[in-house]
Amino acid sequence: MVFTKELEDLVYGIKLSSVGPGRVTGSDVVHDLSGMDIAMKLHYVKVVYFFSSQAAQGLNLTRFKEATFDCFCDFYYTCGRLRRSESGRPYIKCNDCGARYIEACCDMTIDECLQMKDFYSDLQKLLVSQQVIGPELTFSPPVLIQVTRFKCGGLSVGLSWAHILGDAFTAANFMNRCGQAMARLGSNTPANLQYKSNTQHERSKNPLPLHDEPLSLKWVDPVGDHWIVSNNCRMDTFSFHITASQLATLHSEISGRNRSDQVPIFESICAIIWKCIAKVKLGEETAQARTVTICKKDPRKPSKGVVTNTQIISAVTLDLSVMETDPQRLVTLLVNEAVDERMKMEEVVERDDGVSDFIMYGANLTFVDLEEADLYGFELNGYKPDLVYCTVHGVGDEGAVFVLPAGPKGSGQANGDGGRMVTIIFPESLVPELKAELAKKGLGQGDHDLT
Amino acid sequence: MPPSSPNFSSSVKLKYVKLGYQYLVNHILTLTLIPIMAGVLIEVLRMGPEEILNLWKSLNFDLVQILCCSFLIVFVTTVYFMSKPRTIFLVDYACFKPPMTCRVPFATFMEHSRLILKDKPKSVEFQMRILERSGLGEETCLPPAIHYIPPTPTMEAARGEAELVIFSAMNSLFEKTGLKPKDIDILIVNCSLFSPTPSLSAMVINKYKLRSNIKSFNLSGMGCSAGLISVDLARDLLQVHPNSNAVIVSTEIITPNYYQGNERAMLLPNCLFRMGGAAILLSNRTSERRRAKYRLVHVVRTHKGADDKAYRCVFEEEDKEGNVGISLQKDLMAIAGEALKSNITTIGPLVLPASEQLLFLLTLIGRKIFNPKWKPYIPDFKQAFEHFCIHAGGRAVIDELQKNLQLSAEHVEASRMTLHRFGNTSSSSLWYEMSYIESKGRMRRGDRVWQIAFGSGFKCNSAVWKCNRTIKTPSDGPWADCIDRYPVYIPEVVKL
Repeated sequence: MVFTKELEDLVYGIKLSSVGPGRVTGSDVVHDLSGMDIAMKLHYVKVVYFFSSQAAQGLNLTRFKEATFDCFCDFYYTCGRLRRSESGRPYIKCNDCGARYIEACCDMTIDECLQMKDFYSDLQKLLVSQQVIGPELTFSPPVLIQVTRFKCGGLSVGLSWAHILGDAFTAANFMNRCGQAMARLGSNTPANLQYKSNTQHERSKNPLPLHDEPLSLKWVDPVGDHWIVSNNCRMDTFSFHITASQLATLHSEISGRNRSDQVPIFESICAIIWKCIAKVKLGEETAQARTVTICKKDPRKPSKGVVTNTQIISAVTLDLSVMETDPQRLVTLLVNEAVDERMKMEEVVERDDGVSDFIMYGANLTFVDLEEADLYGFELNGYKPDLVYCTVHGVGDEGAVFVLPAGPKGSGQANGDGGRMVTIIFPESLVPELKAELAKKGLGQGDHDLT
Repeated sequence: MPPSSPNFSSSVKLKYVKLGYQYLVNHILTLTLIPIMAGVLIEVLRMGPEEILNLWKSLNFDLVQILCCSFLIVFVTTVYFMSKPRTIFLVDYACFKPPMTCRVPFATFMEHSRLILKDKPKSVEFQMRILERSGLGEETCLPPAIHYIPPTPTMEAARGEAELVIFSAMNSLFEKTGLKPKDIDILIVNCSLFSPTPSLSAMVINKYKLRSNIKSFNLSGMGCSAGLISVDLARDLLQVHPNSNAVIVSTEIITPNYYQGNERAMLLPNCLFRMGGAAILLSNRTSERRRAKYRLVHVVRTHKGADDKAYRCVFEEEDKEGNVGISLQKDLMAIAGEALKSNITTIGPLVLPASEQLLFLLTLIGRKIFNPKWKPYIPDFKQAFEHFCIHAGGRAVIDELQKNLQLSAEHVEASRMTLHRFGNTSSSSLWYEMSYIESKGRMRRGDRVWQIAFGSGFKCNSAVWKCNRTIKTPSDGPWADCIDRYPVYIPEVVKL
C-alpha cells in the first residue's frame, strides 16, 4: 500500500519491540493447524479499538504491555512462528518469539481522524499494521499490536491477527483477555485456557466428486511463502452506521404485512445490500455469481477458551436472479438454506495436506456477522472503547460485507447502542455506484455516514 | 564395560592407599600427640602420688615468679586476641529477579538481530551460532531499552535500569535482614560499564536517605570480578571500623553497552551478557554471629595486567564505524587458565589439607631436581571445598575450569544452571550460584565455598566462605519458582 506523503506523516514516532509469553513454553512444543486454519491462511483479521481521552487518562502503557505478557502465557501458540513440515503442511513452532508491538503517535484528535474523508480506505491502515506473513515464514509474526496516542489524549489499539490462528471471534476474545489481565495485574490467578490441540489429521480417502466441492473456497495461484493474495482489481473500503431507527424502518420494509414476524437483523441487512450489489455488478448468469458466503459465530462451542477457527461458514445459491427476488424471500433463504460448508472445506484442504493456497473471504460475496463477537468487551481502566472497527485484510475480488455492533451494549442510542456498523470491501471502480444504490435504500446517509 | 579384574582391584587398592595417606598426613599432629600423652600418663601412673608431690615441692616456686608467669600468659593472650583480624560475617544477600516482561527467548533475540542487522547476514549467522552453543536458556533477561528494534540506549534508560535492578535488590535485602537504612556504615557499589555522575552509590544514598557520615565507594571499570574486589575492600574497611555494617551492591548495567555494530569479536558480549544484580550485607558485629549465613575466610586477588597480552585480551574500543564495544581476543581462555594457575598457587597453601600440600611440594621438588618431565600434580581442591561457585562467564570458562580443577558435574552444576537461567550477569553471577546451592538444600553448617571470578585486566579473584549455619531452602529469591525444574540437561548445540 503506497500512502501519500501527508498521510504517512500523520502517524509517526514508530517504535518496534516484541511481547511474548511471560512463562517459558518449553522446547519442541508444536501447534498443529487444522484444515480450516490452513484454508484461512491468506486472510488477516484487523481490529481497531478507539478509546477516549477519559479512558486513556493515567493509563500506564507499560502496564498494558505487562498485561499482554500475562495473556500470552495462555495464548502461547500465537507467539510462535510458522514452519513447514516435510510434506509442505504449515504448522506453528511455539518458540515464544512473540508478537510485534508497535508504539506510535498521531498529531490529530480521534474525532478529526474519524471524520477524514479517506479514513476507512487509507488512514485506518496506519493505525493497525499491514504486515503480512512472509516472504520469510520463520521470521514473520502472526500477531501485531499497535498502540497509537492521539493529540486529544485518546488512544487506539490496532490488532492484526493472522486468520490462521483463529477467526475474528478468537481475536476479540484475546483482546478481552488482555483487558482483563490488565485489570487484575498484581494478582496471580492464571486464566484457564481450554487449549484444543489438534494432532493428526487424517486425509480423506475418497476424493470428492467435483460437483460437491465447497462453494466458499476458491483456489488461488500458489503464493509460496508470501501469504497475501493479489486482487485483479483494486479494492476499496468504506463504512457507514445504521441506527436503531433505521433498522426498524428496514424491518418494516422487509416484513411487509407480517409485522409481528421476527426478522433477524443481520440477514435483513445482508438482503438489502445483496440486492444493491446485484444491481451494481453485471452478470448473474452463472450460479457462482448468485452465491454468497455467510460467516457467523458457532453458538455451540463455548466462547471462552477455544482458540482456533470455529466460525460457521455457509453458502447460499439463488435459483433466480437476485434483483428479481424480494427481500423477504432473500432473508428466508439466508436463514434457512445456508449450507454449512466446513466439512467440505476441510476435506479439500486436507487432500494435498494443506499445501495449496485458497481464499474464503471474497471468493464469493461474503457476509460476516460479527454481532456476537463481543468486540466491546475489551476494557481499559474500566472504560469500554468508544468505537471498534473490524475487517479482514486479503479479501478476494468478489468483496465482503462486515456487520458489527455500532457501540457498546447499554451505552444509549446516541452512542450506537442497538445500531450496526457496516463495512464493505468492494472493487474500487464500482464503489460510487454502490454508494448511490445504498443511498436509495436510505443507508449510508445522514450524520452517521463515515465514508 | 566393567573394568578387568586386576585393574579394578589395583585401583581399589590405590584408593585405600590414598585414603590412608591423607588420614595420616592430615592428622599427623593428633597421631604424634597421642603416643606422647599415653607415655606421660603411664609414667605418671607408675610414679605414684607421693613422688608427684615431691616433684612439685622441689620446683621451688615463689610469689614473684608465679606473678610474672601469669602476667606473661595474660599479656600473650591479650596480644593474640587484639591482633586477630575481626571475623567478617555475611549476614544475608539478595539477588535481583528480573520481571517476566524483560524475558528474551532465543527466537526473539535472533529475529530482532535479523531486523537490526539486515544488511549483514554473516553477523546474524555468527550470533546465531554463538547463541546455539552458549549454554543460555530461554528465560534470560535484557533491560527494556534493548527490547526495541533498534535498541534505544539513552542515559535515562540506563539510569532506569540501574534503579530497577539496584533498588529491587536493596529492598529485598532490607526485607530479608531487617536492616534499617540508617544502620549502614559502609556502602560499596560496583558496576563496571556504567558510571554516571553522581555515582550509583550516590543514587542509593539518595533513594534510601542513608547517613551523612557513611563511607561510600563506587568501583567502576573493574570487570566481572569486581564483586570479589568489593568484598575485599569491605573486609579491609571492617577491620578498621569496629561494630559496622557494610552493604555491597554488585551489578552490571547493560543498556548503554549494547554493541550496535557488526564486528564479530564485539558481538559476542551481546549474546551472553544479561540483566542481573545482587546486594550483600557484611558485618563485623558479634551480635550477627548467630544469624549470619557465612563467615569470610580468605580473599585472594591475582592481577596479570603486567603482561601485555593479558591486558589486551578483553578490551573496550571503537570499531571501524565508530561503535564502541568490548572486544574479546581468541587467546582469552589460555590467559584465563594462566590467571587461574596463579591464583591457585596462592590460595592452595591457605586452604588445602596438609596431605595435598605435601604431595604438591614433593612433585614440585621432584620436577625441579629429578625429572622435569613429571606431570605437575594438580592438588585435589575437592578436599578443601564442598561447593564451587565459578563465575558464569560463558560455557567455555566453566568447561575449562572443570577440566583444570578436575571437578565433577555436580560441582559445576550451580555455575551451569545459573548461566542457563540468568545468562552472564557479570559480577553478580556468583551470588545467583550461591543462591542455587542454597535453594537445592545442599548448604550445611561447616561447608566451605570457593567463589572464583575472572575479569578484564586480566584478573582472577577468589573468596572462601565457611557456612555458619545449615540453610533452609528459601521460599523467595530468584530460584524460588523454577528450582524444581533444575538441573536441566543443556545440549551441546540448541536447535533454534
